[in-house]
Amino acid sequence: MTSINTISDKNGVSDEERDLLRRSVRDYLADIWPADKAVERINDTQALATLWPALAQQGLSSLGCDDAGVGLREIVLVFEELGRAAAPAPLLGAIAANLALSGLASNAAQVLLDDLHHGKAAFALALGAFDGDAAAGAATVRDDGLHGTLAFVEGIETATHILVFTASPSGVAVVTRDASGLTVTATPGLAVPPYSQVTFEGTPALRFDMAGERLDDVAQIARLACAARALGSAQRAFDLAVEHVKVRKQFGQFVGQFQAIQHKLANGLINLDGARLAIDHSAKAYDEGNRDWRIFAASAVAFAGPALRATAVETQRALGAIGYAEEHEAPRHFRRVHADLVRFGGTPRARAQLADFLLGAVS
Amino acid sequence: MATLPAYDLGPAASAFRADVRDWLARHWTAERRAEHRRKPFKDRGWDVAFSELMGRDGWIGIGWPRRFGGQERSPAEQIAFITEMANAGAPTQAHSTGESIVAQALFKHGTKDQQDEWLSAIRSGRRPFALGYSEPEAGSDLAALRARAVRDGDDWVVNGQKLWSTGADKAEYIWLAVRTDPEVKKQAGISVLIVDLKSPGITIRPSLALYGKTFSAQFYDNVRVPARNMIGVVNTGWTVIADALAAERVMIGVKRIADIERVFDQLTEYVRTAVVGGKALRENPVIRDRIGMLAADIEIARQFQMRNSRLVEQGRTPTHEAAMGKVFSSELQERFAQTALDILGTGGVLSEDAETAPVGAMEQVLRHSIMGMIGGGTSEIQRNVIAQRGLGLPR
Repeated sequence: MTSINTISDKNGVSDEERDLLRRSVRDYLADIWPADKAVERINDTQALATLWPALAQQGLSSLGCDDAGVGLREIVLVFEELGRAAAPAPLLGAIAANLALSGLASNAAQVLLDDLHHGKAAFALALGAFDGDAAAGAATVRDDGLHGTLAFVEGIETATHILVFTASPSGVAVVTRDASGLTVTATPGLAVPPYSQVTFEGTPALRFDMAGERLDDVAQIARLACAARALGSAQRAFDLAVEHVKVRKQFGQFVGQFQAIQHKLANGLINLDGARLAIDHSAKAYDEGNRDWRIFAASAVAFAGPALRATAVETQRALGAIGYAEEHEAPRHFRRVHADLVRFGGTPRARAQLADFLLGAVS
Repeated sequence: MATLPAYDLGPAASAFRADVRDWLARHWTAERRAEHRRKPFKDRGWDVAFSELMGRDGWIGIGWPRRFGGQERSPAEQIAFITEMANAGAPTQAHSTGESIVAQALFKHGTKDQQDEWLSAIRSGRRPFALGYSEPEAGSDLAALRARAVRDGDDWVVNGQKLWSTGADKAEYIWLAVRTDPEVKKQAGISVLIVDLKSPGITIRPSLALYGKTFSAQFYDNVRVPARNMIGVVNTGWTVIADALAAERVMIGVKRIADIERVFDQLTEYVRTAVVGGKALRENPVIRDRIGMLAADIEIARQFQMRNSRLVEQGRTPTHEAAMGKVFSSELQERFAQTALDILGTGGVLSEDAETAPVGAMEQVLRHSIMGMIGGGTSEIQRNVIAQRGLGLPR
């Protein structure tokens, strides 16, 4: 009799060990990136620069490596905790680099990864033609180096390198932050720190050939990671709203006794749990080598978009004006949830992927 | 082009699924399907002869403990089983209330004699049950029920009225919640009786519900029920009902999701091939977006179901988790049907018996979906449970 609970995990990580990992990452982030300092620190480049070496010391910089001993389930869990702490660590670039480069028989790649794992290097990620957002741009490789303009690049503030996916030839290019022919423009908006636009004009780059299918998979993992980070953010703000309505009184009773509020928050829990179950399921399928993991990931992302955004809105409404001040924790999560859930094509792209699977692609 | 990936249930359940498919291929034959289809719509889904066939081959009570004649199949295997039955459109309603509600309560609260008397009969498929819970003044607030049972010698004498009992016009027995003590707190004076629906003094009045099948009001006028038919100790019926409901809530969702998957497959098959106004329907970007949305939602409904099953395996009774699964899948059924109407246009409001319907049953799914959001605890009650039990909000 096969038990649902004991269907084994490829990497042999048990539920208890995952809980332990979650707790230790949460405690550590609370220590180095405390909620009451997060708003001021997020615009402080020096403070930002301390975050990555600290996480690297905890071993989080090797997530996604073949020999890291953990799988995608653990990766998405760490992203959830980053969202919860609103900690802008450049983990997206790190897992993409580890997933793409760790199997290569290349000394140059090995040196880059060693620096990454020791916290000496940090990667900003530009998926280019693999991004999923039609306005993200693309980079092309020519004899004199890399060309093109790429939008919506996160983590450039503390990056030592930019990891760029290219379609023709299919592969990844690694550009150092101080390379010639590289222009970076901050593009402020909902995301904090802001995204950047990156322009390459004959920029020298280290190139690695790689199959497009593999790059597609890394991009899909980046989408899942963003959904997980948004989930952590949405959950944290939601938890604050739940605590708030248990103590705040209006009209002589706790706000949380009003059925209108109870049902709003019940919907929030459905959305949060639904997103978490689906993200975990797709990550588990990936770890087990189930090729349907891509479909499960698209389902998770397609659901998470509207569900978590609605939850973030209802969270703000339950908190009222108390949660509308930027120094309250809720607004940073509201920003993060919305920014992460439209990234890399968001829900429309995920639904399109499901439609391609079920109805056939449209030329 | 494909259908949704099958439930990810592990190798044992997948092997078991193949056994179930094989059995269905041999017994739920084209002739049998056609014969079932010739029945009026209101009678479809209820087929005692087919239930007896399932009972003969051991397919009723597959999740029951072995000591009660079951197979102790894991939740994963039960999901595989229910999904296969529903995907095939096999009629299981005649035995499902007995199997998944009455039996669950008997395991825990029945005496040895009661278990011997009822369980093997339920497992044989020959003893269809209905539920007698709601009353004119007791719907969501079930504990306010008033149907009265008074002890008289070796019998209980029942007087009162019940409403909205699915299958009461076809079943042989009813699982009846009655008030045995009107003087105490409302939950503390309830008991459960198994009542023979052919007993003198019972009037059954079926009416057609929106989904095209019947539910029935029953009037009990000095109906005598043998005292040995009381399940559990007198006045502890609230616990008996709650335990039966908790067990039922987990597995009932599996069938609902499987039913949604079945019609979703029919809808996507139609979209894949239909040409409307000279254009392939599948290329319409709005339709593609909505099919993608539904596919994602079905995966979410499955994952809520899987969590409930994992909790059961861990020996826990899902409460707010079960409520989340029910809210999500029942409201998804409604969302699915509304979307199907948008995609199919007026053709979507034709019934499955209309020869020119582009895809059958869509309007019936819509009408049926209302029941999912009302029956077995309304969506509103489920949200109260989620808020109060899941989030700890004050009552």
